[in-house]
Amino acid sequence: MLSAQVGVLDQVDGSCKLQCGETSVICSVTGPVEPKARQELPSQLALEIVVRPCRGVPSTREKMLEDQIRGVVTPILARYMYPRQLAQICCQVLESGEPEEQYSGKELSACINAVFLALVDAGIGLLASVSCVCLAITGDNEQIQINPSQANLIKSTSTHVLALQLGAGAKKVENVLLLESYGAFDEESMLQVLHSGEMACMETALELRKVIEHKIREDFIWR
Amino acid sequence: MAKDIDISSSEAKFLIDSLKQGFRFDSRGFEEFRDVGIEFGKDFGDVTVTVGRTKVHCRISCSIAQPYEDRPFEGLFYISTESSPMAGPQFENGNNTGEDEVLCSRIIEKAVRRSGALDVEGLCIVAGSKCWAVRADVHFLNCDGGFIDVSCIAVMCGLLHFRKPDVTVAGEQITVHSLDEREPVPLGVLHIPICVTFSFFNPEDAEENIKGDLNNEICLIDATLKEELLRDGTLTVTLNKNREVVQVSKAGGLPMDALMLMDCCHKAYKITETLTDQITSELKRDADSRNQFAAMLSSENARVS
Amino acid sequence: MSRLEIYSPEGLRVDGRRWNELRRLECSINTHTSASDGSSYLEQGNNKIITLVNGPQEPKLRSQMSIQKATISVAINITRFSKMERSKTSHRNERRVLEMQTALVRTFEKNVQLHLYPRTQIDIQIHVLQQDGGLMGSLINGITLALIDAGIAMYDYISGVSVGLYDTTPLLDLNSVEESSMSSVTLGVVGKSEKLSLLLVEDKIPLDRMESVLAIGIAGSHRIRELMDRELRKHGRKRLSNVSSNN
Repeated sequence: MLSAQVGVLDQVDGSCKLQCGETSVICSVTGPVEPKARQELPSQLALEIVVRPCRGVPSTREKMLEDQIRGVVTPILARYMYPRQLAQICCQVLESGEPEEQYSGKELSACINAVFLALVDAGIGLLASVSCVCLAITGDNEQIQINPSQANLIKSTSTHVLALQLGAGAKKVENVLLLESYGAFDEESMLQVLHSGEMACMETALELRKVIEHKIREDFIWR
Repeated sequence: MAKDIDISSSEAKFLIDSLKQGFRFDSRGFEEFRDVGIEFGKDFGDVTVTVGRTKVHCRISCSIAQPYEDRPFEGLFYISTESSPMAGPQFENGNNTGEDEVLCSRIIEKAVRRSGALDVEGLCIVAGSKCWAVRADVHFLNCDGGFIDVSCIAVMCGLLHFRKPDVTVAGEQITVHSLDEREPVPLGVLHIPICVTFSFFNPEDAEENIKGDLNNEICLIDATLKEELLRDGTLTVTLNKNREVVQVSKAGGLPMDALMLMDCCHKAYKITETLTDQITSELKRDADSRNQFAAMLSSENARVS
Repeated sequence: MSRLEIYSPEGLRVDGRRWNELRRLECSINTHTSASDGSSYLEQGNNKIITLVNGPQEPKLRSQMSIQKATISVAINITRFSKMERSKTSHRNERRVLEMQTALVRTFEKNVQLHLYPRTQIDIQIHVLQQDGGLMGSLINGITLALIDAGIAMYDYISGVSVGLYDTTPLLDLNSVEESSMSSVTLGVVGKSEKLSLLLVEDKIPLDRMESVLAIGIAGSHRIRELMDRELRKHGRKRLSNVSSNN
């Protein structure tokens, strides 16, 4: 389901190409670098986040994605280690895998996972790890689909994106970083979503860790 | 491109001195194009082109729009080449008013759009009211020189690979058939322009270049990023396989002898030929892989000739 | 509208020229003495262009300064009334104009002896009062004249001209009627040499015809250089006689 390569670009400090089902994104991180005067924050790392759509020009939808990613990334970054510095995070959607006019959940979850891997690749200090899944509730029996396909997404009554902050080797949930829900749903199904989302996030986190492990093994092959 | 990157003067001197002795950093010949890799995505019109370490992704998409009033029989075609910091820290997000960005987008525009590479009349659905608007979004992923050449290949591969949904027109009523319902139709591509960029270096001083008759300026094809940073002049020639010059742009820079420039055009033609052949064969391979059952369904007999 | 005959069988063009004839070229320098350090007014056919050069002077922005050499900036103002039909937009910040400005900067960067004027800026302002095809070439000629008037050291003249290709006949120095009906090449030639500083082809031309197009273009540019040189020398003599008569 999820596959990723890190270190795919060489003009930036960290990069990651991530494919999750039908969605594929490429993410780059440059930093810490010297910011422009207007971006500079006196006590912490400034973030410039750019999301670029697969087709067409960036619109309010991409601005919203940028904001959501910022919300997830900011608390897990060791920002106070890098005062008056800047990290540029740039996500390019290669394949959207969803009707762009109505949905953004799959792109968002793929972007967040890709940003996490790219940050690790760039060697920017993090306080915790993060993983993200997209969920959809379909049908009368309220079946929960994890990382739904495009067809299921269109059939769904509600979609949810859950990003969790994980610790202890991705075995312990520390915080909910993001929960975005669209559509009609009740409290019970919300809790259901949280429950199965938690399991899925842990699984995803293990996948992400595998990618990093693999990368470290490759990088330190000389040892 | 790449203005803010500084290259150390010792490295710069080393590069120029190596060039004078006939060597390039990547051990290529002066007139050798890097290997071109073309990768098609799952969807139609999704192409990633790599040339050396330069990587460009192009996505073609289409939608139904209203044609311009003064051109009721023509569809719309846009090419967007916006840069993002992904290709390197020297690129600003969405800033396409920089000198190099403007030149790059203008050359691609001239090479592909103004040369009529895409048959816009074929995009008309109902004259004056409905037509296809085709968009090419070029995404620069990795920058190691030669963005113009690579983007042009990417856009052309994308256009050749793209299929637009079939439509039926009944009076003013049009029906767009989904990809499962009817075989989508390819775009009308009239010719394949290929851009080849030459970079000039002046081994002597400026006076010799202008007044002298030595004409021993160094001329490289398909420069890498470092070579681009240090070059004194550049020439982009766009040709197609019909021996037509589609566009030439030598916007200033090192003055070059006219005969040398003509020579460059002829060299570019050879590269155009090989690249065009490569593009068509890659496209054929992709088409074959998409259509595995063609052989089974075909009524053609295997004939022994 | 009846179809215009671009090139008649007798070998005449719409304005009565033959294939290798330039348009009327008239120029004068030192036209705007109080507004600038160097100025020129150029009429090439119906192109009418004022060029003003200011500098070498203190750069307006510190960031634009180079400690090795002078920097050149070119600003083109294409007036709204420069064509038959009044244009609705001022052409500033149009991609086409930005491209022209960049091309002009890069053309003159290699021909002005910039290393003589470190930490300074040379501003070139162009006002296009009227345009009738082959604009880029005329702009180059105007700048060359104005730079010479400003007394800025250059290696040589740069003269520009456009050449079209009508079927198989190259036509020198196109006007706008001709330009819109055939593909054209713009050249910027350095002095009396065959070196091209600028070469722009915007439409399809057969590869095998390029050489003849370039040849006539270079010849035309050399002629323009002569015309400009003659005017400059005339101006020089006049100034010299003024100086000597005052003494």
